Amino acid sequence: MRKFTAVALAAVFALGSLAAARAATPILETGSSLLYPLMNLWVASYQAKNHTVQITTQSTGSGTGISQAIAGVAQIGASDAYMGDPQMRGHRMLNIPLAISAQQINYNIPGLNNVHLHLSGPVLAGIYMGRIKYWNDPQIKALNRPYAGRLPHRTIIPIHRTDGSGDTFIFSQYLSFTTPMWSHGPGYGTSISWPSVSTAVGANGNPGMVQACKATPYSIAYIGVSFINETNKAGLGYGLLKNRAGRFVAPTASTIGSAAAAMYPKTPRDERISLVFAPGANSYPIINYEYAIVNPHQKNAETREALVKFLSWVLDHNGGQEMHFLNAVHFLPLPASIAKLSREQVAQIH
Amino acid sequence: MLAGVLTSVAAGICLLLVVLMLVFLLWYTWPAIRYNGLSILNDMTWNIGNQYGTGSSVHNGVAAEPGAEFGGLVFLVGTLLSALLAMVFAVPLALGVALTIVYRLPERLRLPVNALIELMAGIPSVVYGLWGTIVLVPWVGNRVAPFVTHHFGFIPFLGGDAGSGNGLFAAAIVLAIMVMPIMVATVRDVLLAQPKSIFEASMALGSTSWQAVTHAVLPSVRTGIVGAILVAFGRALGETMAVLMVAGNAINILPHNIFSPINTIAAVVVSQLESAVSDASGVAQRSLAELALVLFVISLTVNTVARVAIRGQDRSH
Amino acid sequence: MVSRVTRNVAISRLWWVLCISSLVGALLVLLSLFGFVFVRGVAAIRPEIFFTVTQGIAGGLANAIVGTLLLVTLAIVLVVPVGIGAAVWVTQFAPDRLRIVVRLSIDVLFGVPSIVVGYFLYVALVETAGWGFSLVAGSLALAIIMLPYVYRAADLAFSAVPRDLVEASVALGARPLTTFVRVAFPWALPGTLTGLLIGVGIAVGETAPLIYTAGWSNYMPTLAPTHSPVGYLTYVVWTFINEPFKQSHQLAYAAAFLLMIAIFVTNFVARAGVEYWASRTRSHS
Repeated sequence: MRKFTAVALAAVFALGSLAAARAATPILETGSSLLYPLMNLWVASYQAKNHTVQITTQSTGSGTGISQAIAGVAQIGASDAYMGDPQMRGHRMLNIPLAISAQQINYNIPGLNNVHLHLSGPVLAGIYMGRIKYWNDPQIKALNRPYAGRLPHRTIIPIHRTDGSGDTFIFSQYLSFTTPMWSHGPGYGTSISWPSVSTAVGANGNPGMVQACKATPYSIAYIGVSFINETNKAGLGYGLLKNRAGRFVAPTASTIGSAAAAMYPKTPRDERISLVFAPGANSYPIINYEYAIVNPHQKNAETREALVKFLSWVLDHNGGQEMHFLNAVHFLPLPASIAKLSREQVAQIH
Repeated sequence: MLAGVLTSVAAGICLLLVVLMLVFLLWYTWPAIRYNGLSILNDMTWNIGNQYGTGSSVHNGVAAEPGAEFGGLVFLVGTLLSALLAMVFAVPLALGVALTIVYRLPERLRLPVNALIELMAGIPSVVYGLWGTIVLVPWVGNRVAPFVTHHFGFIPFLGGDAGSGNGLFAAAIVLAIMVMPIMVATVRDVLLAQPKSIFEASMALGSTSWQAVTHAVLPSVRTGIVGAILVAFGRALGETMAVLMVAGNAINILPHNIFSPINTIAAVVVSQLESAVSDASGVAQRSLAELALVLFVISLTVNTVARVAIRGQDRSH
Repeated sequence: MVSRVTRNVAISRLWWVLCISSLVGALLVLLSLFGFVFVRGVAAIRPEIFFTVTQGIAGGLANAIVGTLLLVTLAIVLVVPVGIGAAVWVTQFAPDRLRIVVRLSIDVLFGVPSIVVGYFLYVALVETAGWGFSLVAGSLALAIIMLPYVYRAADLAFSAVPRDLVEASVALGARPLTTFVRVAFPWALPGTLTGLLIGVGIAVGETAPLIYTAGWSNYMPTLAPTHSPVGYLTYVVWTFINEPFKQSHQLAYAAAFLLMIAIFVTNFVARAGVEYWASRTRSHS
């Protein structure tokens, strides 16, 4: 026994020291599960050429990304949400957009998943407040005349995120901007106080949302567009959302681009702005900047250097902004004007 | 005497650790205790407040974000209900298993069965959670819940929405399976510690073996069994990962039937900590720690009563 | 009269059938669990898993395996002197009143849910002390969770050392320390080791207290005590099963399988230890 322990110990420490010998600067990226698939593509490609840095990626939720970046535990907090003013007062952090993303509304209605239901902010708010209980509710029928007869009398199971999440942020913004009752009630945030709905279920991260929606017939969920391949594979339906102009649009490169273009000129220097419910006939209503939340003051020189280098590469149109990265997850690259603002923010890291 | 000094340092560390943990938790949660008052126990709403608003919400001199409210009732009820329901499932099962092992199992089967029961106690919580997610929850959601709500819906707490499978029922089943081995082992040891003569004398007086067990043996080990149940109950209250994976993460709502999604204190600490940390005022994080403190106090009480019961049993013979 | 006896016998039989079926039921559940983990686990195990690190949601488990070993090893190093030392003090040196206090504090530790330990260390070490997610924070969490198991086993083992043996040694003129090292310690060792192994089994399977102390890393752990997060197997089970990707499910099953094997081994060794100890006790009396 003692001999075994000794051998095991020796082996462990040999392995450990082996790893220590080729130690490179560690950088921890944690947060948004919506950005996570793209981050993995970026990091894999970047690491292939840069061996002096070790970037760990973690899919934990935007709330985690923001708070761990503030706590100094992570160097990059990935977030679909910018930080609120109260948070910024306590901790001056950089909110650096890296790409443009969108969110789909998915559902699992056996027999109707190949149909794109029309959904509006007030109807979604009604569902998540428990005022619209069944799929054949008159309000849902009214938006979907051609399928009215096929909507089942089944209880809707609304799925929401339990972790602090940028997807919750942009989803609840859409509800707040379209539905007064929602804005006066739960409001918006990365974690909000969900109304009491007896069938409501919580799920962890976008992956958890896909799993839960797939496993739960008659459920509805809000899921980041980077999971479109997974939601398709899971056989989930997605809705067309009512935009500011009153039209129902699908999340496509063209509708996301149209909404984003309407918002670029309004983006302030610190880039904290909501892109949700943008004007324009062809604009998709739930889109957002994907942020890197970074502490401008980095104590460790090696970490700072590695961090700036990586972020600069991500913002480079010959680097992370190349279309093949973004196409793979259905994101859009930053236009030159916004990439410039982001680079200016990176330059503030000292 | 060096050994005495060194070992007393070790004992001191044990003591210090416990004191430190308690003092730290109390000190850390103090602002939350002042902000929340009793609402941490009897309010249903958990709301970290508007992180994008202006102004603040002030209670007893402690400021949090506007609208912030930290009610733990939903989690408290979920914790107690899931652990109690788990006991309803686990107690008869564990008693049956322990009695079988002691009175019915052939000698050569005892060792392997005991080994298996102990193995069951050692399986990690996440592995139970994995099994719960992939095997149990779909079974409950697709078969058990629709069947029960349809045929037995007239019984209170069994009717209404069948839900998704994630919920009180699945959590209680997983908990029952997890705590059963602990209960079996304790009850078995209590039974084995009884003089065989009690059972044999009763048999000699003409009772059946079951009567001997229920009339002679069980009454004499009552406190020991209560102790075993309480130890298991204490474990069920504090169990985290498996419950987190199958309970449905309910928020702001109490369960209306046995299949409703719930949440427990331990699970909510894991799932809400990161959201809480993003509260700029810091009250959310401290309120979560206050919930942890509540759980600490509850399990401490249950465990103390259990230990007293078991020691009482040990002393009685 | 006869009918009543027959009825009682029938009732007795019925109850015993129920009891036996509860045992069979428990074993069936265990079988479902084992079957599930083993079938899926074996299908998911590939040799590369042991040699490659996790890449995002795919890759291998080398980082998690080494991380678990490192975290548990350091936890053992931390818990052994404290747990066993305290038990030795309580059983050999302590005055009555303090003995009760130490035992009480261990009882309290038993009642602390593991997530509370994790939360405490997160706030105290990871945040306030600024260690970040780290090996030491994770190992400390595991050590605190193992402590009551190790302590109680050692306390029992040292309390069970036969008085006459100690007295005989002292009567033969041995110094107290010699008596302790030569007589009491060897006697109590198997029982203590068994308790330690039970603690190791629990530490290997812990998740909740590690999430906020060790963090998680895709890379091989370094031996840096702080500021470097460490991966571990239970994390893979809990997060990767929630990903909608087949490769990540495979990794979760593989990790669950490896955890079960680890638990099997520690359990088996612990049981063998108990048997060995029991046989020695018998031969003495």
